Amino acid sequence: MQQSAGPANKPRRDFVSMLLGVWGVLTVVPFLNIVLRYVTPPKLNVVTKESIRVAAVEDIPPNSAKIVRFNKEPIIVVHTTSGQYKAFFARCTHLGCVVKFETEGTPRFHCNCHGSEFDLTGRNLSGPAPTPLRPLKVSVQEAAVIVSSIEA
Amino acid sequence: MGSRIFAWLDQRMPLSSIRGYFSKKTVPRHRFTFWYYFGGLTLFFFILQVITGILLALYYKPTPEQAHESIRLIVNEVPYGWLIRSLHSWSANFMIACVFIHMFSVFLLKAYRKPRELMWITGVLLLSLSLGFGFTGYLLPWDTMAYFATLIGTEVPKTLPLIGDWGVSLLKGEEEVGAETLTRMYSIHIIVLPLITLITVSFHLAFNQIFGSSVPIGTKVQGLPIPFFPNFMYRDFIAWCTGFAALICLSTLFPLGLGEKADPLASAPFGIKPEWYFLPLYQSLKIAPATILSISGEFFINLLVVLGSLMWFIIPFVDRRASREQRSTPFSVLGIILILYIVVTIVLAYTTE
Repeated sequence: MQQSAGPANKPRRDFVSMLLGVWGVLTVVPFLNIVLRYVTPPKLNVVTKESIRVAAVEDIPPNSAKIVRFNKEPIIVVHTTSGQYKAFFARCTHLGCVVKFETEGTPRFHCNCHGSEFDLTGRNLSGPAPTPLRPLKVSVQEAAVIVSSIEA
Repeated sequence: MGSRIFAWLDQRMPLSSIRGYFSKKTVPRHRFTFWYYFGGLTLFFFILQVITGILLALYYKPTPEQAHESIRLIVNEVPYGWLIRSLHSWSANFMIACVFIHMFSVFLLKAYRKPRELMWITGVLLLSLSLGFGFTGYLLPWDTMAYFATLIGTEVPKTLPLIGDWGVSLLKGEEEVGAETLTRMYSIHIIVLPLITLITVSFHLAFNQIFGSSVPIGTKVQGLPIPFFPNFMYRDFIAWCTGFAALICLSTLFPLGLGEKADPLASAPFGIKPEWYFLPLYQSLKIAPATILSISGEFFINLLVVLGSLMWFIIPFVDRRASREQRSTPFSVLGIILILYIVVTIVLAYTTE
């Protein structure tokens, strides 16, 4: 049967267009949601360690530091000239570069990316870093330097 | 022979009418005609990017274990691999330089005014896409510089409200810059951005075909307009060949180096800098104090960049005087200040530590 596109059919056509429009939206929007969820990285259940053995005591002589990975995050452990051990999350609080232990002059942490400096208590001294480095608890057990996830 | 092929094709597709349509297009002749070449040059460098990019993709492997080694292979073992890679990098720089020259000349000549508003908007979109290409491509060699520049770059938008954190996780694919980040950057670089760019370029060129090039307000046209086909195209061709020769020379004399393979555990090396076209942002973040007007300096700069970019998109609608064919000096001044800011910050970023 031939359908004419005349004015008599207009309400019918409008109705069909509306129906298809709603169908289209109902198809696209849920799928868009699926795509958005897909591209958002999943939170993986990674086993987190309570503590880590960083190195043997003799591997970190006074006035030096060592960077290791602890639960995916780089941490920096420093042996001060006064014989203390200190540990911090090594990411600069500005934009996340790994800081460096600087021994020239007053021992301190220096970020090469934008020049932020932190003293050995982690306090931000200069540069754009907005907050101190986050400290970690460090101890010496059986001639090894141990860092635990408790924030000191 | 040629005319017979044309006749054969003409019976099967509307070749004559297409040719007729293109032959109507002309380019106005006046003292600023020179600046018209930079759009075409950008297109040429983009085509080169596509060709060299496809060639690089034949050997490149987007995983942290293999990426650096595959680039080393391209540079050292593959015949002319060093040239293809250098061309890709030099052409990228040339393309972005041309995008900037094209954009600021269009801005200062007020060519964005009615009826070319959509040309401007697609153009600004193309600028964003070009910067996206630069950013996503930078990580791919997986050397120290690439790694840390991307680490900082993906950290910058974090302070933005609502979408900041989510946007960054979308780019990184995991908390740290790692394998997920590399595959994401790669697929954005070679699939997502080229596709969007192709569509946007098509619209940009179609608008250009429909409206032609604008004559700046109050500029005297000198003599007859230049027919686009073939006269202006021949001129374009000369610019393209000159550009290609320059690229080959630079790629040969200054081939792109490859740094050490990235070590995520190492302290950031000294002198991490992004590509030159991100230096204005880099330098602004660097000189910003920790707090401005009681909000963090970083957030302040980011906010300024986001609002500024949105403003840049809708410039044709803000500059109402230009659309009435009247001079709009404040916008010319704004353009010149922006150019100066970009140049000064780039120079500062190169000359200061």
